[in-house]
Amino acid sequence: MVVFLVLTLLFWFSFSRLRFAWGWDAVYSYRAMFLNGWLVTIAISSAAMGISLVIGLATALAQRAPFLPLRYLARVYMEIIRGTPLLVQILIFFYVVADAFGIGNRYLVGIIILAMFAGAYISEIIRAGIESIAETQLESARAIGFTRTQIYRYVIFPQVIRQVLPPLAGQFASLIKDSSLLSIISVSEFTLNAQEVNAFTFSTLESYLPLAIGYLLLTLPISLWSKRLEKRFRYAT
Amino acid sequence: MRKDFAMQLNISGVSKSYGDHVALADVNLRFSDIRAVALLGPSGSGKSTLLRILAGLEIPDAGDITLNGDRLQSDENWLLYHRRSVGTVFQSFNLFPHLTALKNISLPLEKVHGYLPDEATALAMQLLSRFQLSGHADKTPAQLSGGQKQRVAIARAVAIKPRLLLFDEPTSALDPEMTVEVLDLIAELRQEGRPLLLVTHEIGFARKVADQVVFLHEGKVLEYGNAQQLFEQPSTPEMRGFLDKVLRY
Amino acid sequence: MNIPAYYLKMVVLVLVASTLVIAGCQGRKSPGGQDTLTVGMELAYPPFEMTDEQGTPKGISVDLAHELGKSLNRKIVIQNMAFDGLIPALKSGKIDLIISSMTITDERKQSVDFSDPYLSTGLCLLVGKKSPITSIADLDKPGITIAVKKGTTGHIYANKNIRHARVLVLDKEAAAVLEVVQGKADAFIYDQMSTYQNWKKHQDTTRALLQPFQQEKWGIALRKGDTQLKEQINRFLKSFRAQGGFERLGDTYLKEQKETFKELKYPFYF
Repeated sequence: MVVFLVLTLLFWFSFSRLRFAWGWDAVYSYRAMFLNGWLVTIAISSAAMGISLVIGLATALAQRAPFLPLRYLARVYMEIIRGTPLLVQILIFFYVVADAFGIGNRYLVGIIILAMFAGAYISEIIRAGIESIAETQLESARAIGFTRTQIYRYVIFPQVIRQVLPPLAGQFASLIKDSSLLSIISVSEFTLNAQEVNAFTFSTLESYLPLAIGYLLLTLPISLWSKRLEKRFRYAT
Repeated sequence: MRKDFAMQLNISGVSKSYGDHVALADVNLRFSDIRAVALLGPSGSGKSTLLRILAGLEIPDAGDITLNGDRLQSDENWLLYHRRSVGTVFQSFNLFPHLTALKNISLPLEKVHGYLPDEATALAMQLLSRFQLSGHADKTPAQLSGGQKQRVAIARAVAIKPRLLLFDEPTSALDPEMTVEVLDLIAELRQEGRPLLLVTHEIGFARKVADQVVFLHEGKVLEYGNAQQLFEQPSTPEMRGFLDKVLRY
Repeated sequence: MNIPAYYLKMVVLVLVASTLVIAGCQGRKSPGGQDTLTVGMELAYPPFEMTDEQGTPKGISVDLAHELGKSLNRKIVIQNMAFDGLIPALKSGKIDLIISSMTITDERKQSVDFSDPYLSTGLCLLVGKKSPITSIADLDKPGITIAVKKGTTGHIYANKNIRHARVLVLDKEAAAVLEVVQGKADAFIYDQMSTYQNWKKHQDTTRALLQPFQQEKWGIALRKGDTQLKEQINRFLKSFRAQGGFERLGDTYLKEQKETFKELKYPFYF
């Protein structure tokens, strides 16, 4: 990782010697915008992640529910969310649906949209986790005399949680990146702020490089943590 | 010691089908004093089904079963109570992979049988050392060999002081070395006098260890009774043919 | 770190290759060769920059560009791109000129050169029907929301002058108008002519406060130091105006606006 960074830096510096006039000063004077945007991105992503976990869990369970309309509803929700681009969902949801319901706060709407988007993918992760528990284990638990609740509490959930934590962490990283699309409805997150700085300073590379680095600062630790979790919880059934 | 474990088993007219497939057809058995019962027969003869019914995991379509005067009922609450009084060991995947060997034994004691955590742990450690597994107490199933896993599973079944032990082909998934360590353990349990029902392909073992034998064929009980007698003189051609095949090599 | 050696080599190779490619692209003068002038504009600003049903560029700026090409005897290629990307594209050589109704400002002059101004207009407000705003004085108050389009002089004005109201930065003019129409924003700071057009399209949800509060002049942008081209363009603008070229363009595309502004006694553009 260190080697990689050093190499990149080396290349950028030799590049700059060539003929590119860097405008770092102009961009540096806007550093407050970068910081604010970065913090807003973190806040929105975290809030959306929390809500999406609830939505994802509810949907995963709904898909296994004996009550058929509930199952159907869950399927429809998932097909729509996973079959359309997030950008389209944001535009429709904010300018059509939220408007019809009179919800004006675009930050709230943005968080809800992100949560609904991630929720569909999370429900798949959870469902796969639940179904990965071998039938025979549940048999074993039954034979011991555990009640249904006990089986969920002591056998299914501990294993499901270990199973889904790595992909969930990955989903969180995706959410952070996807939050950049909220710039389209003027949510003042990281990407929009960088774009504004670019608009004022005309220094595109100098505005967008910190943007990329800022996102990496968030997603890299998550992906490393996710890999560590995977290793820890890997065991043969 | 024998007196405590005395177990009467009556099975009359029990049938069970899965869709079109008839697993058990009118099974009748009478044992006034079960000791080590071996359930034998070719594949698909209904041995596992019968065992699972006795374990409280399936409900027969028809018929009656009484264990020491207790009639097996189809009510879920009753079955829960029944399962807790019976210890079952399956062919594989008995243990919970996210728990240590110790926890696998002590958790049911705590949560199902109301032991205090310290008592449960102490009892679990006791059994583990009795089965020569104390060094493995803190290992997860992934770190144990097949034979060790099965022995922990047996410890778990024994820990609850069951009135009946059921084994569904406990060594079929093991290689010969590990098979022996598990069979040794079962033989030990039989020495203690615990009533146990064993579905197995290890006919040699059954010959040595079983007190009683039940021979199933296509869902019906063709022969049952004293082990020695049946092995020496099988009365039905099916059993004779079966024994001939399995004991050939 | 056990990154396999071959993987690391691949990464280094890719880095080298991409750096060389980017460096190679830097110095090019004109993407189309010496005889072509690539003109950048955002085709989302009727009637100056727009497209017809087939997607071909059309409008006042397009016609102006082609007239310029004729007078300089060079081929004109129109390049459509987002407004806030025009100056970076000019600086990096992707385009040679910007004819996109771009206001001449001091900040922009730091990055690019401008021709003589060819049009005067002013910033004004498109206001929601239910909004309490009646003039520019009502604008910078807490509780007010102002929409601007990214990179425009409206955006720059808001960034400089608005301290108490909330500023919404949108990508597209249509999005900003929608915000006002839906009542999510109180006002949209934009130029007179577009504000007039947008009001006409949404007469039951908006009002137009066409009195300009900031005068602006539009120019053609080109790379710094390209004095020869600048002189050529200025000469063209002078002669085009003398020949009545702008009058013609005004009559073709802005007939209605001309009439309305005459009535309102606002000075008309060219």
